[in-house]
Parts: sequence; C-alpha cells; structure tokens
Amino acid sequence: MRIRTIIIIGETEFKTKLQELFSKAGFKVIMSDLNQDYDKQASEADLVLETVSEDIVLKEEVFKRCDAKCPEQAILATTTAKPWVTQIAEVTRRPEKVVGLNFTKNPFDEKYLVQIIRGLQTSDDTIQVSKELLEQVGVTAVKIGETPGYILDRVIASVVNEAALMYTTKLATVEDIDKMMKICTNWPMGPFEFADTIGVDKVVEILESLSQQLGPRYLPCFLLRKMVNAGWLGKKTKRGFYIYS
Amino acid sequence: MEIRRIGVLGAGTMGHGIAQVCAQSGYQVNLQDIKDEFVEAGISKIQKFLDGSVERKRMTQDEADLTSSRIKGTTDLREAAKDVDLVIEAIVEDINIKKDVFKELDQICPEDAIFASNTSAQSITEMAMVTKHPDRFIGMHWFNPPQLMRGIEVIVTDKTSQETLDTMVNLCKKLGKEPGICKDSPGFIVNRLLQIWYNESLNMFDEGVADPQDIDTALKVAYNFRMGPFELRDLVGLDVALVVSETHYRELMREQFKPPRCLVMKVKAGDLGRKTGRGFYEYESKT
Repeated sequence: MRIRTIIIIGETEFKTKLQELFSKAGFKVIMSDLNQDYDKQASEADLVLETVSEDIVLKEEVFKRCDAKCPEQAILATTTAKPWVTQIAEVTRRPEKVVGLNFTKNPFDEKYLVQIIRGLQTSDDTIQVSKELLEQVGVTAVKIGETPGYILDRVIASVVNEAALMYTTKLATVEDIDKMMKICTNWPMGPFEFADTIGVDKVVEILESLSQQLGPRYLPCFLLRKMVNAGWLGKKTKRGFYIYS
Repeated sequence: MEIRRIGVLGAGTMGHGIAQVCAQSGYQVNLQDIKDEFVEAGISKIQKFLDGSVERKRMTQDEADLTSSRIKGTTDLREAAKDVDLVIEAIVEDINIKKDVFKELDQICPEDAIFASNTSAQSITEMAMVTKHPDRFIGMHWFNPPQLMRGIEVIVTDKTSQETLDTMVNLCKKLGKEPGICKDSPGFIVNRLLQIWYNESLNMFDEGVADPQDIDTALKVAYNFRMGPFELRDLVGLDVALVVSETHYRELMREQFKPPRCLVMKVKAGDLGRKTGRGFYEYESKT
C-alpha cells in the first residue's frame, strides 16, 4: 500500500518534530490531539502516528477510536518507548496493522533513528511499509522485537548498571570510568554520561522491566535506585552522576 | 621517585610499542625478549614506525635517531633489568610464567625499582605477592597500538603504595598518555564494560529481538558508536572473543558475563569472523 496521508495524534512537543519530518518529505500531515474530535480526520488516514503521553489507558483509547474510524487498510503506529505494541494491538480489530515506531534523537547530530517494533501480531507487510515510509523520509530505521528499552537503551542500561556497580564498589571513579571508555575504545560518551543523558529513572525502569522478564541479573544497582529517590535523574534535573549548571 | 631507565619485557605487539613510546619521551629503554629474533623483530618494527613518522613529517630525523638510540635490545633478563627504575612486563599471558619472571626480577633489580605488568587478564595482586615489595607493584594496562592509543589503565592492589601510584600517574602523563585508575579486578574498567556491551547485544540476537546488522546500525546511527558490537567481534575474531568472554565469566561468576550462545556456536562452526570470511556477517571469500 502507499501512504499519502498521515494523522499525528499527540500532546507532546515531539509531535511538531514529526510533523516537520513528514511534511518535508511530501506527505499530507494532519495534526490532532486528545482534545479534538479526530474521527473525521481519521477517516482519511493511511497512517496514524500516536504520540500521546506514556499512559497505556490513554493509548488504548486512541487506538480503539482510530480502529473504528480509519480505513480498513490504514496502519496504526505508536511512538511509545515502552514494550506495549502487542498489548495496544490487541484492542484493535487489525492487530496485524499495528506497529511501534520509536524515534531516538542522536544527542550529537540531532538526527533520528527509528526502531520499528514488531508486536506479536504485526504482519511482515506492515513492517515493510513502515520501513519504506521511513526511507522516503530519509530516516534510518531498524527492525526489532519488543524488549524493555528496545535495543538501544537496553544495551546502554546494562552497561550503566555494571559501571554503577564498579563505582559503588570503589573500583574506579565516575570520571575515570567515563574517560577510559571514551579514549580506550572510542565510545562517544562514557556510561555515566549516557545515564545522565537518557535519564537515570529511565535506566532503572528498563532494568526493572528486564529483570522481571529475563531474570535477576538485570536488577538495578542500589545506587541507581537511590539516585532516582533523590531526584538525581541526570541532565533534565541538572544533577545525575555529574552536576550541570 | 624519578624514573630514568625502563626495562620492557616482551618485544611483541605491545612490548615494542611500549618501548618506543618510552624512548620517544626521553627514557632509556632496555627491550628484552627470550629469543634474538623476537628482539630484532621488535626493534625493526620500531624503526619502521619511526621511519614512517619521519616520512609523514610527524617527527624529524633527529628525533627518530635519538629515539632509536635510547633503545637497547637484549635477550638477557639480568642485562635488561639490573639498573632500571621501572620494569614493564608485556610477556605471554600466562600467570605462572609471569610469576616466575617477577620472582627473578626481585633478585636482579635495584631494591627500589617499580614492577608494572601490562596484563589484561591476570590478577595484579597475585603477581605482586610473589615479590618482596608488593607496595611497588602495579598494573599498567596499555591499549593496542601503544604508540597511538592515549589511555592507560593504572591498576592498584591493596598493597600498592601511594608513592608507586603517584610515580606511575606522573609517568603516564610524561609519556603523553591519560591514566585511569582502577582497583585490581577482572577486566579492569574497559574490558569489563565492553563485555557487557557485547553480551547484551549478542543476547538480543539470541533472543530473536533483532539481527546483527540492525543492532550495529542502531548503535552507530543513534549514539555515534564508531563500530557496532557484531562488526567489532568479527574484526577481532570470534575465537579470541570467546576466550576473553570465558575468562570474564570464570572470574566474575555472574550471569551477565556468560558467553552468548551465538558466539559459542559460531566458534564451534568455525565461523570466526573476517579472517575466515564469515562470522556474524559474510565477507568476500579469502583465497
């Protein structure tokens, strides 16, 4: 199928970024939010891009409503960062047409990477159409399955957890650990800089979710939990492993 | 204390590079290996590197000549170690051979000499304890190639004195390197965290979450990693990767260090990465 009209339903600032991205590539983009009656708009959509806040109940409502109003062949996509695609798909009558499109902004060059998330029911065709759509927009996309933190932040969260353990057990300082990872292996950032960038709360949430699914080896280091309790979440709170002015 | 003369043991990949860096920074270096041909090979590699630097105008001919004049090759351990302030050991990664060498050095070296090991896999503490002065024993973990890699992990044990540590930190700076201090522990900082980065990526492949190419692409495009974990594994060689992985698992005894199934199976199948034309990726066949 060809996608021409995209309806973006969201409350977050991110929705204007999405609008820019898709409008620039020549798509007809309709903006909507939860305060609007988007039933009529939905009836024209080839693709719905949901970007409301991370609340499963809200998201399920949006999907139910879009499912009722959108043309039968339309794809319904969520930008959620949580492993909810399968669950969201289940409230619709077209679970094979529900997909996750999670956008991660590169902290260095501000370009996006999209992780196309396949839920249990998502069809190959839906994945393929999504991939082609993103190619047209000029965004790099990778295909993945549902896992906490998806692939990017799952890797980073695991590294952060080990680094935090090394720091709490006094093997090395935060600064030396970050410095060595950057200069000895050419990492773009050290683990603690990553933690502060992604958010310590997000790291803990991913680790907790991983430990529920895959076992206790993912349990977050106690220091990370304490930092969340203290409100030291990273750059967004001006304090994490480092202090930001 | 002041370091003037350094003995470098082992003229292989790491040893010759370490000797060169020390000599370039003005230290007198004795470069020792167990066979003449190893010493000669090391010295000729240094010469080649220096010639290349002169050619590319990174160094003057005088600087190159002065550097090579500071390096003395030998196969005699006594000759290499009797008058040095510091020994940097970069020999084969075998704890028993290393311990024997340090026991011998204990008899040969001046009383106040510092012993440093470039090991990446053995316990610094275990080696230190075979010497009479574990307070003057330290780890000095260089990265390959030593001439170009700026970071050095300085590994301290519970016995290492503050003076020894200070001397080594200063030395690193004089060599133009950046020291990172870590307590003696498996994998130190860099290799231990790299293991997690690799394992988590490979585990996701095993779980069917994503393919190598998608994982590599994601990490490079979103977070600017220069190479992805699968590409790097293939580059280094999966057999080598498995040995390192097993060592970490054995030493740290935690699930996150367990060698991922895909790595074990690739090695069993003889798909070792670029060198065999196939690993996590396919490469043009080598004939």
